[in-house]
Amino acid sequence: MDVVTQMQRQLLQYTSSLFKEGFLDDQFNQLQQLQDESNPEFVVEVVTLFFEDAERLLNELSKSLEQESIDFRRVDAHVHQLKGSSSSIGAQRVQRVCIAFKNFCEQQNVEGCLKSLQEIKQEYSLVKTKLETLFKMEKQLFAAGGSVSR
Amino acid sequence: MATTKFRHVFGRLWGFATSCKKSSSSNPIGTRILQRDVEKEEFQFASTLCLSSYYSVFVVRLAIMVMLAILIGLLTILTWHFTKIYTTKSLNSLAYDLRYELLQRPILRMWNILNSTSEITIAQVKLSQYVIRSHGNLTTQEDQVEMYEAMRAVTWALFASRKALNSITVKYNNGFVQAFHRDIKDNNTFYIYSDLDNYSIGASGYNNSELNYSSLSSQESSWNDNDNKSTVWYRQPLDPVTGERIGKPMQIAPEDSIHIAGLSQVPDGVASWRVAVSKFTDSPLLSAALPVWDSSNKSIVAVVGVTTALYSVGQLMKELVELHSGHMYLTSLEGYLLATSTDAPLLDNSTQPPKLKMAVDCENEVIRLGAEYLRRSSGNKFPPSHEVHVANVRLGHDRYYIDSFFLNLKRLPLVGVIIIPRKHILGQVDERAFKTLVILISASMCIIVIGWVCILILTNGVSKEMKLRAELISQLEARRKAEASSNYKSQFLANMSHELRTPMAAIIGLLDILMSDDCLTNEQCATVTQIRKCSTALLRLLNNILDISKVESGKLVLEDAEFDLGRELEGLVDMFSVQCINHSVETVLDLSDDMPKLVRGDSARVVQIFANLINNSIKFTPSGHVILRGWFENPNPCSDSANFLMEEKKLQCAQKTRAKQYENHAKRTSERDKKAVLWFEVDDTGCGIDPSKWDSVFESFEQADPSTTRLHGGTGLGLCIVRSLVNKMGGEIKVVKKEGPGTLMQLYLRLDTAGDDTEQHCLVDIANNGLVVLLALHGNIGRSITSKWLQQNGVFTMEASEWNGLTQILRELFHTRSSSGTNNGFDVHYPIPESLKSRLLSIQEIRHPVFVIAVDIGLLDLSTDIWKEQLNFLHRYLGLAKFIWVLNHDTSNTIKLELRRKGYMMTVSKPLYKAKIVHILEEVIKERNHEMQKKNMDELHVHESDYTHCDAASSDDSDISESAPCNPVSSTEKFEQFDLLSRYRINNCLIGLTDEHSEVKTPRKEDSYQNNHNSPKSLSAEQAYFPREAHQGEDSESRGKEEHRIIRGLGRPANGKKSLEGLRILLAEDTPVIQRVATIMLEKMGASVVAVGDGQQAVDALNDMLGVEDFRRDSNLNERNTRSSSPQTEILSFPSYDLVLMDCQMPKMDGYEATKAIRKSEVGSGVHIPIVALTAHAMSCDEAKCLEVGMDAYLTKPIDFKLMESTILSLTRKTTS
Repeated sequence: MDVVTQMQRQLLQYTSSLFKEGFLDDQFNQLQQLQDESNPEFVVEVVTLFFEDAERLLNELSKSLEQESIDFRRVDAHVHQLKGSSSSIGAQRVQRVCIAFKNFCEQQNVEGCLKSLQEIKQEYSLVKTKLETLFKMEKQLFAAGGSVSR
Repeated sequence: MATTKFRHVFGRLWGFATSCKKSSSSNPIGTRILQRDVEKEEFQFASTLCLSSYYSVFVVRLAIMVMLAILIGLLTILTWHFTKIYTTKSLNSLAYDLRYELLQRPILRMWNILNSTSEITIAQVKLSQYVIRSHGNLTTQEDQVEMYEAMRAVTWALFASRKALNSITVKYNNGFVQAFHRDIKDNNTFYIYSDLDNYSIGASGYNNSELNYSSLSSQESSWNDNDNKSTVWYRQPLDPVTGERIGKPMQIAPEDSIHIAGLSQVPDGVASWRVAVSKFTDSPLLSAALPVWDSSNKSIVAVVGVTTALYSVGQLMKELVELHSGHMYLTSLEGYLLATSTDAPLLDNSTQPPKLKMAVDCENEVIRLGAEYLRRSSGNKFPPSHEVHVANVRLGHDRYYIDSFFLNLKRLPLVGVIIIPRKHILGQVDERAFKTLVILISASMCIIVIGWVCILILTNGVSKEMKLRAELISQLEARRKAEASSNYKSQFLANMSHELRTPMAAIIGLLDILMSDDCLTNEQCATVTQIRKCSTALLRLLNNILDISKVESGKLVLEDAEFDLGRELEGLVDMFSVQCINHSVETVLDLSDDMPKLVRGDSARVVQIFANLINNSIKFTPSGHVILRGWFENPNPCSDSANFLMEEKKLQCAQKTRAKQYENHAKRTSERDKKAVLWFEVDDTGCGIDPSKWDSVFESFEQADPSTTRLHGGTGLGLCIVRSLVNKMGGEIKVVKKEGPGTLMQLYLRLDTAGDDTEQHCLVDIANNGLVVLLALHGNIGRSITSKWLQQNGVFTMEASEWNGLTQILRELFHTRSSSGTNNGFDVHYPIPESLKSRLLSIQEIRHPVFVIAVDIGLLDLSTDIWKEQLNFLHRYLGLAKFIWVLNHDTSNTIKLELRRKGYMMTVSKPLYKAKIVHILEEVIKERNHEMQKKNMDELHVHESDYTHCDAASSDDSDISESAPCNPVSSTEKFEQFDLLSRYRINNCLIGLTDEHSEVKTPRKEDSYQNNHNSPKSLSAEQAYFPREAHQGEDSESRGKEEHRIIRGLGRPANGKKSLEGLRILLAEDTPVIQRVATIMLEKMGASVVAVGDGQQAVDALNDMLGVEDFRRDSNLNERNTRSSSPQTEILSFPSYDLVLMDCQMPKMDGYEATKAIRKSEVGSGVHIPIVALTAHAMSCDEAKCLEVGMDAYLTKPIDFKLMESTILSLTRKTTS
């Protein structure tokens, strides 16, 4: 049991650090609240969806921005989607960069867009690793027989 | 000349004009002095634009004046010029003729003189030739004498025939001289002859026939020598008529008196002319000389000379000049004066012998100047036939006409000059012309001055008007700007309030979540609660600002829906009574019975009006009461229509009559509009408002006493909103005078009455049932009002305000009836007042009385444990009377438990008002009837009745909980939790109890179903969630209204059902993450969700639904049953949706397009599916766009759980209700 409590503490600390560092926001909490017996893997499911969606969008974005004449409306739509989905899982740093990206898009600033794309990619990979770690820890905890206290 | 004159005149005009302008601009100063202050202000207000326009006006005015001046001046000058020019021209031609004529006459005379002189000369020569020839050779002295005698006779004859002749001389070649001379001055005639002795006949040289001129001249010199030396001349006066010698000859010096023409004067042997000057006369003489040839024509025998005085010419000139004035003179070609019209001497006497004067040396000034002028103008020499005619020559001081004529005589060319003063000819004309000019100029000046004055006045007026107009325009502009900015302000506020309200709602929602968290410490919980309160206050403030800005920008549109006014007001009083109890202020609702039950209007706004007013009153009332009175506009307010209100208001009768005119007016208009005029009063016992502030308290940000802000807070917006809303509803609000401390606000609203169901059917029930009500209540006002009202409705009442009074009455009441009660410590004997006694007596007369005792929990001594004993005391009467416990909102659980344990099931929370009482009494009557029926052992009826009670309790709509064993849910804990909520809602649910009966029936099945299947966790979550809603409903009434609706909807979840149970929601969202999250959220709330990926799919899904809609409607009842049993399968078979959540940005077809398509397909079908927009754009313009395309509400991403829930609920409620 000692291991379990330790793991629980670790998980809590890690989660709170994610919140403190601004990777996640309240929306993630809401997600976690939505998870219950009927949907035990809800958070993981949604986040995985987000990952798939985001990777697709990022690919699209890189492709769009590599082209000679950039279709800013298309880029804007992609960024908008990314913003919506990131805000829905509470990945607020990604969301913030998305907002900046959108602004650059409106100004049709190619350099800014490329810069933002890099930032988004960075933030995305960061949040992805963080979340994956989180889920891993949760899994371990479950495996050890503990439960996530909320 | 004309131009110079014109220029001159113009110059003068200009000078006059400028001086005029100066004077005209300086004159009005006197009149303007008064206006100076005004003008100064005006000037300060006037912008530079105004100033420049003023200058331009000034310039225009100046230009008009100058043009007028030029026009009039031109007219004047032209008139003058033409009139003058024609006269002058004609006069000039006339004058020329005159001058010509005048000059012609002396010249003619001259001509005559010359002619006659020459004729005489020729005649003399001819005669002399004849005489000499007839005498032949003169050889002797005698012959000579004879010849001379003959000659003398002949000469005399000629001389006598011509009176004008001055002299005739004959000089012979031998030197002998014969001459006749006429002295014009003394009119004597003389014969002059030389001494004959000295002359010999045969003088040498005379016979020389071969004379030539050169020798002749030498001869002459010899002649002259002889003459001068040797001749002796004699002068003998003659009778001028006969020629007889009348005197002795006198010896005179030769050439003494007359000039004898000699040989020298006839150099070429022809007649010669010359002007000679005589020593003896002062006038020049014209002399002619001719030689007398001998018979052989070879030698000159004698020389004949004739002289004529030019005196007569001068004389003639004088005469002419006397007639016509002016001067005339004749000169020779060289310029010597021959004759003048003056007496000036013609000869220069200074020299010896006298010589002729030049005209330029004439003593007469005019002639001299004229001559000088002529010489200047044409030089010394006149060309032949040169005539000079000059008009208007200035000589000296006057102007003259000068005309000269050239008279070309052989040997003696003459020049005649006439100088006539201009005055003589044109004097009158000039004078007249000058006068005319002066008159014209002065007249035109007058016209100009008058014109200028007129223009000045006119343009002054015009410019003033223009200035005013410009000012008006600028002020209109400023006003427009101000209005625009005010509008912008309102707009801005409206927008901002919205923007602010959204995060506020989020804050409050999150705080609710936080508060529901169990792991908060007490301290944290208190802090969060505090934050919650503050947020609510802030939200209320924002709502106020939004309301005001809405009203100001004219966007406030009042709803027009039917609502129960009484119920709304009761809810309001319920809400405020909680606040009042803390303040020890009694809140009383006092509506007259004739109030229409249902009215049409905007219930939220009506409630807002009273909420603000009551809130205001409570704020300023530290103790006492706040009464909300309401009555229906009565055509005859003084008639005793059994209205106890009137009785209550006897004190205020004075102001009522004052208000009557308002009422009458209002009544008249209301009759026209078919609207009911409802009067309300909010009466408090607070600090009151200073009468001077009665009007201004309704202004924005105005408070009666600014210092109270510190004490009570507030922004001063409340009353402003109230007045705006009241005015909007066609009413008025004012503060009226009140007896005693406090404020009395009176207002009336004009609302449509919905039907005329004003009959009080419920009141009939409680009357005549033998009810005796004992009101043991704190709060005098409320108790007395209730008591009076009950009495009016035929219910017997008694009142007690404290424990002792209650016990006394109880004892008297029941001890007299049945002396079964035993005395205990509380039974203190008080003397019973007479009035009470009589009442007791009258009660005893009632058959089968039913006693109802309403006991205020506050009458018990709650501070100690005495209340339990008091309760025990009262318990004794349980069988005899029905007890109704009036609870405070903060009554502790232990007391409630105790009451319940003892079997008191009828509890009601404060405040008591009619609807509650009616309901209680109805319950009492029902129970009695039920009991009576029970006695008849009617099983079926009992079952039905129980069912009803159970239902009412289970839905927890009422806290009048009866002992219903079938109700496991109404546990005490739950009871407590719902206490506040129920207090607010009680009336709605009570009244609507019977109505809901049928509705509730069906869901009950579901309820039980849910109860069984819900996990305990979710149930507790629901329970935790629920009181929050109740809190909200209490804190903000505008929110409360919405919440109220929600709560009614949530009536079912209280039994464990989810809030969105049974709703089918179509979710159109392309982002998978959001789609998943939203789906889970909605499913958690109990809704079934169908998710689609884009707008097109959404539209398709809905179109399918519309197709089956008709069928659905037909089998409505049937379907309901099916649905409740297996909702999931039903959805699959009939994909009908209660609501659509629509993302705005989607591929293929975005949310706006999809919504438009859906709305289009709905046209004509009468269906309106609620569509809620989901968007990541958090701008109000997006919201506007959403609403524009036909969406009903608007949610922003990330989706807020609470907000979504409440939005969906409000929309689905709206459509189903």
